[in-house]
Amino acid sequence: MQFLAYILRQTGKNLRQTWGTPAMPLLTVTLSVLLFAFFFLIYTNMLRASARLGDDIRLIVYLDQEVTAQMRPGLEKKIRDFGPVEKIVFVSRSEAFARLSAQLDKEKDILNDLGPDFLPPSIEVYPLKNLNDLTKISQFSEFLLTLPHAAKVQSGSDWLRRFGYFTNLLRVVVLLSGSLLIISMTFIVSYTLRLTVLSRQGELEILRLLGATSAYIRLPLLLEGMMQGFLGSSLGLAALYFLYQYIASRFSGPGFLRLFDFTFFPPELTGAILLASIVLCTVGSLFSIRRFIRI
Amino acid sequence: MPRDASTDKPLVELVNVTKIYPPDVVAVEDVSLRIYKGEILFLTGMSGAGKTTLIKLICRLETPTRGLIEVAGRDLSHISTAGVQRMRQKIGVAYQDFRLLDKQTVLQNIAMAMEVTYASTKVIRARVEELLALLNLSDKRDKRAGELSRGEQQRVALARAAANGPSLLLADEPTGNLDPAATELVINLFRHLNEKNGSTIVVATHDPSIYAETEHRVMTLNNGQLSAHPNRSPRQIELFEA
Ligand SMILES: Nc1ncnc2c1ncn2[C@@H]1O[C@H](COP(=O)(O)OP(=O)(O)OP(=O)(O)O)[C@@H](O)[C@H]1O
Ligand SMILES: [Mg+2]
Repeated sequence: MQFLAYILRQTGKNLRQTWGTPAMPLLTVTLSVLLFAFFFLIYTNMLRASARLGDDIRLIVYLDQEVTAQMRPGLEKKIRDFGPVEKIVFVSRSEAFARLSAQLDKEKDILNDLGPDFLPPSIEVYPLKNLNDLTKISQFSEFLLTLPHAAKVQSGSDWLRRFGYFTNLLRVVVLLSGSLLIISMTFIVSYTLRLTVLSRQGELEILRLLGATSAYIRLPLLLEGMMQGFLGSSLGLAALYFLYQYIASRFSGPGFLRLFDFTFFPPELTGAILLASIVLCTVGSLFSIRRFIRI
Repeated sequence: MPRDASTDKPLVELVNVTKIYPPDVVAVEDVSLRIYKGEILFLTGMSGAGKTTLIKLICRLETPTRGLIEVAGRDLSHISTAGVQRMRQKIGVAYQDFRLLDKQTVLQNIAMAMEVTYASTKVIRARVEELLALLNLSDKRDKRAGELSRGEQQRVALARAAANGPSLLLADEPTGNLDPAATELVINLFRHLNEKNGSTIVVATHDPSIYAETEHRVMTLNNGQLSAHPNRSPRQIELFEA
């Protein structure tokens, strides 16, 4: 009990004595957590969005000739032979027309002049979900183009590809800011603790003479590092949360955020970021303590 | 209270200890010495004779070049870091150069010695008051150590060494800056610790006034070599040569 009281008291004393110094790493930790979490938040949301988009991928093969009922099983077999497919839907001219007019509802009058044959027949191919890979999808659409009477294949993969590039780019940014976070935390924390140790050199020397145990000397410094990790990352995450809230409230309604159904980190992930920061800062303080305190 | 040397196990034992500071300063040469539990030992000698070095060897601030040193039965050359730390908590040392923290108050300086043993604030407070009263420093409790006179700093250093009621107290030149009245207070503190607490006390000094009339053992260092003090009172001759 007395031990704990001492450790806490000493930590408080250190913080008070060198108040200017711990404020600096606190700010650094806060900013690096904010930066990292910001990109990470966008990244996780992008991932979820692309997973959802991948769900409704379908390849539409427009044909220049109606597929007869006898041709269907052959075509279907050919497609299934190429790759795993969830379902295949044949859409005839009249079906396509019926769909469109259902969609247009009250304005379907404009179709009257065009006649029921103006839309091409098509085959809708729904690949299995594990075919999310973009290169596989483009291979698939190239194959579909070789089917008899295929005029055009629409896959929406161009757009998906751009989205994929962006997600990849974001992954790099996340990794970079993550490494920055690791470096800045361990370095800054160990650097400031080194300053604390140096400013307390005289005291540490006398503690050594008085027989202070290693724990007595080291734990307050370790605790200081842990607290910097905890406080810094809490502040960073809180700042990000408020930023998120602000943006969400400003841009509510249809738009980017709606489209992606932008959400904040789940509690587990928030906890993991917090924990990682604490561990990093503790490791940083361990470095300086090991190097600069002679017992 | 001198003990019967032949039956007790010594608290401190030095066997043929030599300390040479690099490159070739022989500070202590082939010293063998036993210090018994409950004893008060005066260590005299001229400046540069090796008194401080001997004290530093006993609390393991220095390691001997040759020879064996045991404290409470433990060989200091085979002692772990934790072992040294535990030992230092039980040995009070009043350094010749005081080693106080000038920016901290008298109270904080003395309390430090007790805080490392995790004593409670209440116990520390009471003990510090007691020691300050014994050394006539009560009104200096909240002054910074750096603002005190040399003589006051010397007594603070002693109070810190005595704070934990150490089983061994090493006092290096404890009265160098003190007037006779203050010297008397220090002698009384030693006597108090020795009688009430059973502390073993080693006093390095070249102030004859504090050992002239003593009934305790007086040893002399001469160029690093130890011998019994030549000018002993009749009382000492009676005690040690009978
Ligand atoms: N750290 C050191 N490095 C080198 N030589 C030292 C060191 N400390 C002491 N000496 C030398 O060792 C010898 C003994 O010194 P020591 O301090 O033990 O003497 P002392 O008896 O305490 O003297 P005083 O009465 O002046 O305090 C001296 O010649 C001194 O110069
Ligand atoms: Mg000396």
